[in-house]
Amino acid sequence: MFHWLEKHPFFFAVGVFLVISFAGLVEILPNFAQQSRPVIGTAPYSTLELAGRHVYIANSCNACHSQLIRPFKSETDRYGHYSLSGEYAYDRPFLWGSKRTGPDLMRVGNYRTTDWHENHMKDPAGVVPGSIMPAYRWMFTNAADIDTAFAEQLTIAEFFSVPYNKPIPMKDGSTKIVKMGGSVAEANALALAEAKLIAADMKDQDVKDAVANGEIPEIVAIIAYLNSLK
Amino acid sequence: MNKLYLWGIIITVLMLLFTYISVAGSEGGLNDDIVNMLAITGAVALVLITVFVVIKYVRQMQVDSATGDLADENWDGIGEYKNEVPTGWAITFLLTMIWGMWYWTVGYPVNSYSQIGEYNEDTAAHNAKFEAQYKDITGDRLVEMGESVFLAECKVCHGINADGIDGKAANLNIRIDASSVKHVIENGSNNQLLGFAMPMPDRNGLMNANAGYAPITDAEIEKVSAYVANGMTGEGADVYAGTCAMCHGADGTGVDSMGPNIKKFDTALVTNVLNFGKKGSIGAMPKFERLNAKQKEAVGAYITSLSE
Repeated sequence: MFHWLEKHPFFFAVGVFLVISFAGLVEILPNFAQQSRPVIGTAPYSTLELAGRHVYIANSCNACHSQLIRPFKSETDRYGHYSLSGEYAYDRPFLWGSKRTGPDLMRVGNYRTTDWHENHMKDPAGVVPGSIMPAYRWMFTNAADIDTAFAEQLTIAEFFSVPYNKPIPMKDGSTKIVKMGGSVAEANALALAEAKLIAADMKDQDVKDAVANGEIPEIVAIIAYLNSLK
Repeated sequence: MNKLYLWGIIITVLMLLFTYISVAGSEGGLNDDIVNMLAITGAVALVLITVFVVIKYVRQMQVDSATGDLADENWDGIGEYKNEVPTGWAITFLLTMIWGMWYWTVGYPVNSYSQIGEYNEDTAAHNAKFEAQYKDITGDRLVEMGESVFLAECKVCHGINADGIDGKAANLNIRIDASSVKHVIENGSNNQLLGFAMPMPDRNGLMNANAGYAPITDAEIEKVSAYVANGMTGEGADVYAGTCAMCHGADGTGVDSMGPNIKKFDTALVTNVLNFGKKGSIGAMPKFERLNAKQKEAVGAYITSLSE
């Protein structure tokens, strides 16, 4: 057998390749699969949050803001617990970012609130003197794309088995169910119900009126998304 | 003398000479620096060992003749002897295997570097240092620490002067303003300002004892709001005494386990807001779990000092 292999270098190479590949897969895959499982407390995005995530991506927030806290004391003091792989289980695509012109936003939902985001998006320098972040006033008038968010939910629920409408374990031992509508109309209704809760904490009368009329401005969606980052 | 040895000596001398020139001729040259001396020693050792090993094996090729039984197979005319494994080689091989087993089972897993491990050590060391350095600070130093924490964590909402940036957050230079008092009276409050849930009822649950326990009226709310916001002075003392004093104390400084201090800030109050967050007339404030106990105490001292 070995003499035969030594006389046939091509098949020897194929054999070596197979053995090393198999060993690599056995070593790497189970660990990789384990690491990328969602950690306890990580829930999929609701329709409105997903629409907000689309607004976040469309406005290139990730060009200036990272979503990745490294395990250094100086970072965890400022941003909270360092990031774990499993916390990105429902992020498609992940928004780690590669540059921090602004601060990290991985857990911004823990230390900023709806009304703060509203003031800040309207006039960043008014809240943070010297801030170079531009104002995003159009978010207060542009409508969020709930239909696309719902389409994405349907897709990821189908192809990646993202657990919508299923109990998800939370850190305190309870379970949480993230609802996904069964139809476009139902998804819009769910998003609107969520948007009403956000708008109740906002001050802009135009946004409040829009939500009362059944419209969802982008600002509501992105605040819902930012509040969900914990 | 064999030509090989002659070449060995010539090359050794040349290489040592070159090493000496390149070091002694360069700036600084040969001095007492230990790193320089170690480098020179290493270079000399390398030259000697290289020449010795090369001579040994070239000599072996020149004079050695192989003995022993040839194996049956040969590869393109190249044969292989079936000699015993040399003892030194065999022992080294065995020791390497034993070391390998130790390394993979104990050596690597137990001593390997871990980023999270380093982070944990860093954090523990920092916390211990912080604890030791600031355990006993009081008074002005505590207020200073509070100010620096405030400027790092609180100013984004409350502003660098703690004035709430034109009503975007609570103005901390006064304990409470009239609109906040009104909001709380009308809507009640469920903020854990005492460290536990002790909800205050909304206006339907607030009776004025001095007016025959009638529900509080709009006019009375106006009056008592101004009274509380002015630091317990002015009109509305009777409404306060009849409606609010039972839980917040006759002078507004609070009653244990009943109602918080509404006359002025104190450390316990601020600490509880930092621990549990708060929802008021302006909006919600998140809790700040990332501050340690001393930092919370310091923020309390700083905020208390602002309105004094």
